[in-house]
Amino acid sequence: MPDAAQNEPRWRRYLRFWRSDPAADVSDELRFHLESRIAENLSTGMTADEARRAAAERFGDVGAVERSLASLTRERETVDRRVAWRQIILQDLRYAVRQLARSPGFTTVAVLTLALGIGANTAIFSAVYSVLLRPLPYAHADRLVDVREGAIGGGSMNVTAGNYDVWRHRSPQFAALGGYQYGAYTLTGLGAPQRLLGFQASSEYWRALYIPPLLGRYFGAAEDQAGAPNVVVLSYALWSSTFASDPHIVGRPITLNGNAYTVIGVAPAAYALTATAPAFWVPLALTPQQRAEHADHELAVVGLVRDGVAIPDAVRELSAVQRELARDYPHGEIDGTIVARPLRDSVVGAVRPLMLVLFGAVGLVLLIACGNVMNLLLARAAVRRKEVAIRSALGAGRARLVAQLLIESVLLAGLGGVVGIGVAVLGLRALLRVSPAGVPRLFDATLNAPVLVFAAVVALACGIIFGVWPALRATGVDLQQTLREGSRDASLVVPGSMRTVLVVAEVSLALVLLVGAGLLVRSAVALQRVSPGFDPHGLLVARIALPESRYPTDSSVTAGFQRIVEAVQSVPGAASVSLVSRIPIDALGMDCMTWREGMNPNDVSGVDANARGATGNYFATMRTPLLRGRTFDAADVPGAPVVVVINQSLAHRLFGDTNPIGRHIAQCAGSAPKWREIVGVVGDMRARGLGQLPPNEVYYPIAQLVRSDAGLVVRTTLPPASLAPAVRRAVAGVDPELPVSGVSTMDEVIARSMATPHFTTTLLVLLGLTGLALAAVGIYGIIAYFVSQRAHEIGVRMALGASRRGVSFMVLRQGLALAGAGVAIGLVASAAATRALAGLIYGVSTRDPVTFAGVAGVLLVVAALASLVPAHRATRLDPLEALRGG
Amino acid sequence: MEPGSVALLQGTLDVIVLKTLSWGPMHGFGIARWIQQTTDDALRVEEGSLYPALYRMENRGWVRSQWRMTDNNRRAKYYSLTASGRRQLEAQCSSWSAFSLAMSRIMDATRQPA
Repeated sequence: MPDAAQNEPRWRRYLRFWRSDPAADVSDELRFHLESRIAENLSTGMTADEARRAAAERFGDVGAVERSLASLTRERETVDRRVAWRQIILQDLRYAVRQLARSPGFTTVAVLTLALGIGANTAIFSAVYSVLLRPLPYAHADRLVDVREGAIGGGSMNVTAGNYDVWRHRSPQFAALGGYQYGAYTLTGLGAPQRLLGFQASSEYWRALYIPPLLGRYFGAAEDQAGAPNVVVLSYALWSSTFASDPHIVGRPITLNGNAYTVIGVAPAAYALTATAPAFWVPLALTPQQRAEHADHELAVVGLVRDGVAIPDAVRELSAVQRELARDYPHGEIDGTIVARPLRDSVVGAVRPLMLVLFGAVGLVLLIACGNVMNLLLARAAVRRKEVAIRSALGAGRARLVAQLLIESVLLAGLGGVVGIGVAVLGLRALLRVSPAGVPRLFDATLNAPVLVFAAVVALACGIIFGVWPALRATGVDLQQTLREGSRDASLVVPGSMRTVLVVAEVSLALVLLVGAGLLVRSAVALQRVSPGFDPHGLLVARIALPESRYPTDSSVTAGFQRIVEAVQSVPGAASVSLVSRIPIDALGMDCMTWREGMNPNDVSGVDANARGATGNYFATMRTPLLRGRTFDAADVPGAPVVVVINQSLAHRLFGDTNPIGRHIAQCAGSAPKWREIVGVVGDMRARGLGQLPPNEVYYPIAQLVRSDAGLVVRTTLPPASLAPAVRRAVAGVDPELPVSGVSTMDEVIARSMATPHFTTTLLVLLGLTGLALAAVGIYGIIAYFVSQRAHEIGVRMALGASRRGVSFMVLRQGLALAGAGVAIGLVASAAATRALAGLIYGVSTRDPVTFAGVAGVLLVVAALASLVPAHRATRLDPLEALRGG
Repeated sequence: MEPGSVALLQGTLDVIVLKTLSWGPMHGFGIARWIQQTTDDALRVEEGSLYPALYRMENRGWVRSQWRMTDNNRRAKYYSLTASGRRQLEAQCSSWSAFSLAMSRIMDATRQPA
């Protein structure tokens, strides 16, 4: 019997030594089966023919089986390939870890650089996410709009109670229109009296801005009725502090402004969008008189658009109503339009440019950091050419080598990302410590899931972006040449090479950053120099409120304040004590339309001006000059004809260059204007903040414009803060139940008003300096590399008599050439980029030549310093050694 | 297929092959021969269908294969059970026992339905 094995060509076995041959395997296996069966059949006495036929019959369709096995084999190969890939990646990863561990210096520098960039970006992104991106906490956040009335002459105003009432009944496309306004209240009966900010809100306010209450309930329709019982919803902050998170608070009475209010609920902490959120809510409960008011624009209105209704449609519907209102109530100063914007925009719109500028700046820092790491990788690529060449000679394809190097750079970026999260934790903590109250929703920024995803994506993108080019560089070399050359790297610092391009780019990015920071600093300096129109040094201010329950009449209020002023006057060191209804910069005055005599308030629109009440000595206390006429005196008492003092801006606006003394103006006229005589003109104060132009002002004798709260202003020759305890004691001596709040020096008031710009400036300067440091490292790196590559040449030059100075200068010139190119590009880029700062700077142009030139100079000096070290090293080269080494 | 032989379902063939391999590594022809001898040729497996079953089980990781020399010095592909194949066999065995017990109870039933 011939052994079938001998039919098989022997070489096939050796073929399989190299790689498996699945098709051959299949046919071998089936042939073995058939031959074995034939052999068995023969042994039972069949003829050869019969044996073959019987075997085939018993086996079935050989072709079908073969096809089926072929497809099963393919299936298996895909699985095998996937497993193999996973193994390759794991193997590359292990290799990459070994490579990075082998050069700890490189790895540390690269990881720390990336951690700085990724960490700073993550921290800023968490702030951006918290402030701008995350949805408002309310149930239907995407359907909420802030609704205001368009004003005659442009702009928008709060809504009159009357118009709001009409809106509510005629806007079926809104599921809720919530009206609310601020109110100042004194909480008594629980330790020291507290002056608190509360909202008066309608029941629909809660339906629009709904988050389930922590305890109890919010207002219902019953609380909208005038004369409804006094109830109050506490904020989480007030409940957890003053009421020690009392779980049985609902149903208990508290005393606000001397009246008892029953607590009906506690709102969750999420209602505190800003650091100046209300402490509690009481019902708005509009009276019939208020509902008939169509000229006093007091209410803020938030609308919840009905589900399925487009916001513009709902606004259009409201606009139709508003046109009728403008026709029916011509004194309302409304132009018949509705100004509506998404509620989120109204909450964070003002800080969006600031946040985006910071985000952009930190992005530039990351780019510079990536540039540095890429440069390190390029340097490494040069060093590793031999290794790569050997691996490639051993049969590794280029794709495989690039993949290996990319895995290394992604691993590097991943490490940078992990360390970067740590940097972000610290950075965010520091950021929150200095975060100003003026940036809403920043105070509860955290490193949450979206922020971590951002960090991961940034790290991965960095790894790929800065890894691809060096990987292509490292693998795209002529194998033979590299191996023949040995370890010498032929590439030098040549213009246009990737490494120089990188450094030039880094310098230009750093310049953009520094110009931005420089403009903000210049703006801060300009603000510092602005005269506020009064002397803020040596002033102590405080807010005092007289509760209605114990000071019910105008005369009792006036007498009360009089006693307080006298008491404070006797405080040692108090040189001058006066009252003003609203302290400038600390609070806005009452904004009112103002007309000059001869104008008909019914026909002509007037000039916007603040109304403030003040004592006669207020201007002297503030050291604001009296320019014409007189201030108030003892004769300006209730009952006497009301006189006013106006500021220079308003005088100029209404009367031009003519003398306004003795002429008359009317404010907030309504249908029956009250004309008041002007007795004096005073200098302008920047009452809205140093960065804002002085508003028009009308001052009334405070005894004739009685309000239950006022600001106390004390001029002293002592350090003003030292007077605070004595002033508090003096007020308590008059009435221990009076809340004294906001006790601070005027300098502090001004500093608070600049907290947000200060915050932006500080951050941008920090980012600018980080960018500068990274760019300096980049310059240093490439110049040091230049020196090491040119050691031979430098040796030759020195051997031929070149001076140390000359060599040093040659190296320095290299550094300055790179920096100069970067500065030139950066200046052009800055001119475009600084437009983003337009709304954030004061008193400097976005193309301020001083800043541009100064920053360019700083960068060139830093570049020179960064080149000095390698330049010095170049002069220390021993010519002999350098020549021998080359 | 000849009369008297039993048609086999896919899963059944798998169990038979697993059971066969539980004695030790065997090549495809060996498996066919074992089935033939054990069942007295009652289960006439179309021998070609053994191989797709073997390949499929190899893809699933129930068996693994290896080329080896037979006793008379020929190259043949031997299949053996993997740990997961053994677990599979155990699971199949118990469900088969339960099934065949139930079947025989029905077939041997002496009471007519009420």
